[in-house]
Amino acid sequence: MKKSICCIVIATILTLGCKKAENTNTSVEDFNTLKTAAIADFVHVVAVPGYAALKTKATALNNAIIVLNSATTQANLDVAKQAWKDVRSTWENCEGYLFGPVDSDEHDPETDTWPVNFVDLEALLADNTHSLSVADIESLTNRALKGYHPIEYVLWGKKSSPQTAVTLQANARQKLYIVSLSTALKNQADALYNSWISTGGNYSNIVLTAGAATNTIFTKKQAVYLAILEGMVGICGEVADGKMKEPFDAEAFTPGSGAELVESPFSGNSLIDFKNNIIGAYNVYLGKYATQGKGIADLVQQKNRALDNNIRLKFETAINSFDNITVTYEEAIVSQRIQCQQTMAAIANLSTLLDTDVRAFITTNITD
Amino acid sequence: MKIRKTYFVTTLICLPVLLIMCKKPGLFLESDYDPRLSGGMATTFDETAGAFGHAIPLLNANDELAHNLGDAAVGQSFVTAPAPINSGLGPIFSNVSCVSCHHNDGKGSPTAGQVNSSLLLRLSILGTGVNGEPLPIPGFGGQLQDVAVFGKQPEAKVDIQYTYQTIPLPDGTLVELRKPTYKLLNPYLPLPNTYFISPRMAPPFFGLGLLQNIDEQTILAYADENDGNADGISGKPNYVWDAALHKTTLGRFGLKANTASILTQVAAAYQQDMGITNSVFPQESSHGQLQADGLPDDFELPDSILHAATFYIKTLAVPARRNVTDPTIIKGEQIFRQINCSNCHIPTLQTKVDVTLAATSNQRIHPYTDLLLHDMGEGLADGRPDFLANGNEWKTPALWGIGLFPKTNGTPFYLHDGRARTILEAVLWHGGEATTAKNKLLQLSTSDRNALIKFISSL
Repeated sequence: MKKSICCIVIATILTLGCKKAENTNTSVEDFNTLKTAAIADFVHVVAVPGYAALKTKATALNNAIIVLNSATTQANLDVAKQAWKDVRSTWENCEGYLFGPVDSDEHDPETDTWPVNFVDLEALLADNTHSLSVADIESLTNRALKGYHPIEYVLWGKKSSPQTAVTLQANARQKLYIVSLSTALKNQADALYNSWISTGGNYSNIVLTAGAATNTIFTKKQAVYLAILEGMVGICGEVADGKMKEPFDAEAFTPGSGAELVESPFSGNSLIDFKNNIIGAYNVYLGKYATQGKGIADLVQQKNRALDNNIRLKFETAINSFDNITVTYEEAIVSQRIQCQQTMAAIANLSTLLDTDVRAFITTNITD
Repeated sequence: MKIRKTYFVTTLICLPVLLIMCKKPGLFLESDYDPRLSGGMATTFDETAGAFGHAIPLLNANDELAHNLGDAAVGQSFVTAPAPINSGLGPIFSNVSCVSCHHNDGKGSPTAGQVNSSLLLRLSILGTGVNGEPLPIPGFGGQLQDVAVFGKQPEAKVDIQYTYQTIPLPDGTLVELRKPTYKLLNPYLPLPNTYFISPRMAPPFFGLGLLQNIDEQTILAYADENDGNADGISGKPNYVWDAALHKTTLGRFGLKANTASILTQVAAAYQQDMGITNSVFPQESSHGQLQADGLPDDFELPDSILHAATFYIKTLAVPARRNVTDPTIIKGEQIFRQINCSNCHIPTLQTKVDVTLAATSNQRIHPYTDLLLHDMGEGLADGRPDFLANGNEWKTPALWGIGLFPKTNGTPFYLHDGRARTILEAVLWHGGEATTAKNKLLQLSTSDRNALIKFISSL
């Protein structure tokens, strides 16, 4: 008898356990809670920590260059180069969400304009009467003389005439130039971070209060999600259709011309740049940076697990595909064109999925 | 007989059916259309900061490729020649790329000579050229280039000063208006004693393919140059020389409708704004000036890029209206018509058939412009004639997308020189032919005025 009762109880529990999940009020509330949490974590886990890291690494680059200026050794040059790569890595991650002050306050073109204006750069360095103070650099009307890439150019030099501690030591104006450039870059990173925090421009609050009657930028939560989505789609397009495709196509039309179009050519860092862009967008989707929070992934997972799996697969396929390219991108557009094409195709697939299915998910499920 | 009877019955049955089929289709009611579709089929539903940057839907693969190529082109920064890529900037210029002025495919800031400036100054002296164009200032041309590559001198720098006045509205609301004045500083050679300056803010890119595809007769139907209907509103077409078409034709682009085609607008911007020569304008903007670089004036911009950039702008979709069922906005729309804003800001136009681009063909659109010139009064006058436009006249700007400027451009700046920081400020600057409408606005209750502004913000 006891055995029978036990069986009945277990059977009942199993039956209840097997009951198909229903879209109860509780789950709706959970989704609503999640909608708010994912926005909060986009701010507190992804964006602000990302910009904080950018500020820290830009400061580290500036410090390394100041040290290099006073003691121009090969070791200090190498430290400065690594510091440039470090801040570059964070910046490329942050490009996964290019909206808000980074866009409206034009931090992006102010620090990441490409190509470098070599003619004016050389003329500026050659003209001893032209001051290279931070103020003068910051007031330059030509952004192609400012930001990451002129610093990269001075630290690495051209392929035909690579920079060494000896060559740099012989060029005091070059050193002065990158001290001011890196200070200006640090100032930009500081300003960008400050524009988000509550003691500064407090853009965080504009994102966090999406849907509130007083919020004129994001009149609905949906608007924030669409802005985040536009950021992810935008960077996928910029990498696949711009940064990768333009040199790739140019090389096909005129062999030998593609390498001239590759961004970050002096450091050979282009592929890492591209990959970090897509990782940045994936971080946004997952709601993580240094720590894990709630993201769009959690929302999608709750309503459409298959879609979430597909998005993760597309992201990971795109990110991992970079590892198939085993030389610099300048070389790969010549010798590993199939791998380049596969990566561009993987990013394009991801971009299409984001632009269609995720957009439809947001507009259907996040209407407030 | 039996057969005849069958025929007769059959005819009786079929005739009404045939007659019904022959009935002329009735016109749709206004309510049958979706009011959100500002650009008809060429409408996008994005309302984020990127709202102005979407291709019109359903482009074929080839057109999409050309659009994307153009998209990349307008984002490219030019650099000083010689350079392996994007070579040919300047030697004198206004900015280094299209998007530097047309931020997010929209507008920008009303400053000049800075990296993010969106304001340029047109220059001229008294008189007209052989094609009716304003006479350029010798040594300066028809547009000021206030930036230069390293080692060259800008033609001049621009000093912008504002004077402020406070306008009290009947309900006690105080509105601060600011009026700019422009002074040219440090000209690279002496300026003549008398010359005209006209400030122009870079306008948004989107929707231009639709405006180009409005039949000329449709536009002219709204013209009333001599105010024949005595409503105080004229509406004058500007006929301008088109450098690409090599003929005088109806102007529809630019703040004084001084440009006839998107191609000419884009080609002129490359040459005048960035110093990039092209097949339409093959000479440097500095040609004949002391600062000319002396390099051969080959085309710095390949035709394929020029046409891709043109196609990109032609195929940018119009953002959809928002909150169209909001009762306050519906009320605001009624007020917009009642106080005759809609006499110039024509709400609905029809594009003509264009077999090459379905989304702009035969579309019912809501640009809120008549593309005609109107006297806007002394307060807004630049005093500078531009083809047939006199110094008081401006083209009615399209209002579609206006409510999204705060998102696409941060602080929104309205009117031809960006002096207005709110829509209400912009309306209060209306004078001349728009004085009656503005006075009616001033008589509105606070709630009605707010409804009107809310309606305009929904466009």
